[in-house]
Amino acid sequence: LCDPDRVSAAEPFDPAGVRWTRVSPRLAGARRVVLAVTTLPIVVALAVAAALLSWPLLMLPALVPLAILLWGWIVIGRQVRAWGYAEREDDLLVRRGVLWRAIVVVPYGRMQYVDVQAGPLDRAFGIARLQLHTASAATDAQIPGLPPQEAARLRDRLASRGQAQLAGL
Amino acid sequence: VTDGAPADPADPDPQGEAEWHHMHPLTPVVRSWRVLVVMLVFIAQGWGQEAMQGGGSAIPDVGRNLDVGLLGGGAVVFLLLVAIGAGYSVLSWRMTRYRITQDALELHTGVLFRQQRRARLDRLQAVDVVQPFVARIAGLSQLTLEVAGGAGSSVALSYLSEERAVSLRGHLLARAAGVSYDTEEAPQAPERPVLEVPFPRLAGSLALSGPAISATLLLLGLLVSVAALRSAAPLAALVPTSIGVASVLWTRFNGSFHFRVAASPDGLRLRHGLLEQRAQTVPPGRVQAVRLAQPLLWRRLDWWSVRVNVAGYGGTSENQESTESVLLPVGTRDEAVGLLALVLPDLGVSPPEHPRAVVDAGLQGFGERAGFVTSPASARWLDPWAWRRTGFRVTDQALLLRRGRFRRHLDVVPHARTQSCALAQGPLQRRLGLVTFALHSTPGPVRPVLPHLAGDVGARLLDEQADRARRARSAAGPERWMEHLAAGGPGPDLQESADLEEPFDAGGPAQDVSRP
Repeated sequence: LCDPDRVSAAEPFDPAGVRWTRVSPRLAGARRVVLAVTTLPIVVALAVAAALLSWPLLMLPALVPLAILLWGWIVIGRQVRAWGYAEREDDLLVRRGVLWRAIVVVPYGRMQYVDVQAGPLDRAFGIARLQLHTASAATDAQIPGLPPQEAARLRDRLASRGQAQLAGL
Repeated sequence: VTDGAPADPADPDPQGEAEWHHMHPLTPVVRSWRVLVVMLVFIAQGWGQEAMQGGGSAIPDVGRNLDVGLLGGGAVVFLLLVAIGAGYSVLSWRMTRYRITQDALELHTGVLFRQQRRARLDRLQAVDVVQPFVARIAGLSQLTLEVAGGAGSSVALSYLSEERAVSLRGHLLARAAGVSYDTEEAPQAPERPVLEVPFPRLAGSLALSGPAISATLLLLGLLVSVAALRSAAPLAALVPTSIGVASVLWTRFNGSFHFRVAASPDGLRLRHGLLEQRAQTVPPGRVQAVRLAQPLLWRRLDWWSVRVNVAGYGGTSENQESTESVLLPVGTRDEAVGLLALVLPDLGVSPPEHPRAVVDAGLQGFGERAGFVTSPASARWLDPWAWRRTGFRVTDQALLLRRGRFRRHLDVVPHARTQSCALAQGPLQRRLGLVTFALHSTPGPVRPVLPHLAGDVGARLLDEQADRARRARSAAGPERWMEHLAAGGPGPDLQESADLEEPFDAGGPAQDVSRP
């Protein structure tokens, strides 16, 4: 098909010669807050009940949310480290996932519009989410956890590159 | 025009062209036909009641007067509502107007909430002339102009007289193609019939379709249980299923009835429909992806269906039946391949190889024949049936993806129409060194995905496909397809290539010289 050296056979999700930019580690903080807010109240409620009734066995079910919290804490860290993007000459690469991995190539000329979103939690952690849209609904190219100024820079850069290379459908 | 201002030659919108038009005066009647039917039933009922009351002398006079008084009050309110409704319809008709400028179609609608929509003609994706049943009785048509703006982006002119709709279609297509003409009326592009789906084949294809077969099996099962239980109770299950199956089959039958395909320089013309008739025009280069599919039961007869992604039609899911995206509901292999050659005249297969051989390998082939790359042997753990069939072939112009052991698919996506690509890998695939490749096209029935490719093959395909797509786009023809022709370049001359017996004739050996 082509030069076999261009892509390393071992790692389809790490093409040779691509410098990945990681997303901000603050994304892990934001996601861990969500995780803690959903699991910790159960643990606390069970602990209070166990103390009031002086029945320590009631603490046993609390192990489940605790385990989820611990496991989620680690997974989130790995997931956030796995998110990455790379601006190449003609297209943008977005990579994500640890267990279920995916990589998307979006040519600049195919970009229809770019969204930058930041919810209250995102703003508190100083991150924003950037999403690219092509004419295809299947294109799932989003980069969460960008520092706001980087998101703005990327948005403008993508828009200008898209403008320069824009073709019809 | 009379105020003496000199006509500006640079004005893209001279007065003579940008005249506002109204819809056909019968539009309010056709639009509110349901209301009218309800009204007629209501009135007929009233008369019937009155007649019965007149006949029944046993009713006391007082009661009768009260009844009539109530009826009279009801009638006044009713008439008032009708008058308001009619007034609103007429006002709405008055407010709806359209015009065609040099490069756009403008439509103004709305009484209280006004909408002004302007669609650029060089962005036109397809033009349909639709005749719903009631409009057909009144001799009216709806003209729909599809642009690629997602759901609800089309501009619908409803309703116009049939002649007006057809002449307007010619006008819009000529403008969109970049053809200039001096005459008042736009020249109608000549058409050449390509194929027609005969009725027995359509009926047969429906009888051999999934819903019909499963309904038959269900019926057999129910009959067996009726015989075993000696009770008719299981037959109650038949009612909801038969309604569901009948509605699915009816939708397909109604949409695909008398399906005809014709080729013209404006693109493909599709005509079909029993109650609601549709005449679609898909200009050259607007087809984003093509899928040839064959359910298991069609294999003996070698029937195929052809579906396409066209940007304006999109938005339907894979399972949902969308009549607009069907290029051929059922046809022989030659017809299906011929249509593929019509929408994608250049498959990018160079002379020593015949394009037809490549397509045939894609339709029914296994293994590495005709340059197809298949899943590696390790994929048999995840896909024991079809792993040797799952494969792709890259040509200079398009990517061919074939799939399916039982239900066969061949997806063809021109490089120039690729939106984006992706690779994905789950934990099992990772252990086996496999990846899933997906190509993103505009919304529609064709969603090209290729599971379980070897990791390095998938990575290379992803890398190169992005590159090929970029190069193909920069070499792609203009949006205004006839401008190319006028400039002396090789244009998309569908008339010449509309030959089903020998598709892709550029690359193949000359077989039949007797054809005109």
